[in-house]
Amino acid sequence: MTKLTDVLTRLCRARDVLREVHDRTLTIEEVAREAAMSPFHFIRQFNAVFGETPHQARIRSRLERARLLLARGEQSVTEICMEVGFSSHGSFSTLFARRVGVSPSQYRRRARSMVTVPGTYASQLFPGCLSLMGAAFAILEKQQAVESVRVVACESS
Amino acid sequence: MRIKLTSIMVEDQEKALRFYTQVFGFVKKLDIPVGGEYRWITVVSPEGHPDVELSLEPNANPVGRAFQEGLLKQGIPATAFEVDDVAREYERLKALGVVFTQQPTQQGPITLAVCADTCGNLIQLYQPPAAP
Repeated sequence: MTKLTDVLTRLCRARDVLREVHDRTLTIEEVAREAAMSPFHFIRQFNAVFGETPHQARIRSRLERARLLLARGEQSVTEICMEVGFSSHGSFSTLFARRVGVSPSQYRRRARSMVTVPGTYASQLFPGCLSLMGAAFAILEKQQAVESVRVVACESS
Repeated sequence: MRIKLTSIMVEDQEKALRFYTQVFGFVKKLDIPVGGEYRWITVVSPEGHPDVELSLEPNANPVGRAFQEGLLKQGIPATAFEVDDVAREYERLKALGVVFTQQPTQQGPITLAVCADTCGNLIQLYQPPAAP
C-alpha cells in the first residue's frame, strides 16, 4: 500500500528536477533514475499521473516561468529566453506564441499595461481562486442579451 | 446563502475538461472564453444535483499552484467525490488508465480510494455508509 504513494513522491521529485535544471540538457535516463524507474516505465507513469510526458512538462514549465519573468518586466526577451533554458530566440518565440497566443514581446506589453501596482501580477494574466468568474458572467449576460434580441426579432417577423 | 459552486485548480483547462467529462463522466455546463488563453469552465454530475457546479480553474497564479503542488507532494487529495460503489469505480477508472495512490480501503463506516486526475490533483472517491 505504501508503494503507491512512494511512486507519487518519486514522480513529484522527478518533475521538480525537470523544471529546476535550466542550464543543461537532461537525458530521460537521468530523470528516470531520480524516480528510481526504467525510462520506459517512468514516461508511462509520469504521463498517467500528470497527463503529459516529461518532455511536455519541461517545455510547459519553461514557458510558464518565461511568462512570469515577462510580466515582471525586468529583463529583455533574449535574457528571459536564455534564463528559462532555450538556446534560440526563434524557437522560444514560436513556442511561446503557439501556446500563449501572442509573442513574448506582445505579452510583456500587455502585462505592463495591466499591472496597476508594481511588483504584482495582473489577475487576468495569472488567474486563480475564482477571479475569472465576474468576466465570465459579464460575457454570458451579453450573449444572453443578444439571444433574447434574436428571439424577439424572430417572434415579431 | 447556498453552496452551488466549488472549484478545483487544473494545469491545463482543455485537458481537464476532457478528463473530467470523458473519464470521470461529468457533463459540461459552462465553457466561456474570458479573453487571453483562459476559460470559465464548469461541469456538473449527471448522477448528482444538477445545480451544483464544479469550476475547472487555471492554476496559473503562482500562489494557487504552490498550494496545489504542495498537496500533491504530500499525497493529500484536493477534493472528494461521492460514489455509489468505490470498488466498481476503481475498476472502471483503472481500466481507463487512471493511477490510484490508494486502493479502495475501508475507513470506519466509509470506503475510500485516491486517484490522480492528470491535472495536478489527487481526488478522493468515497462510498458513504449504506442507509440504515
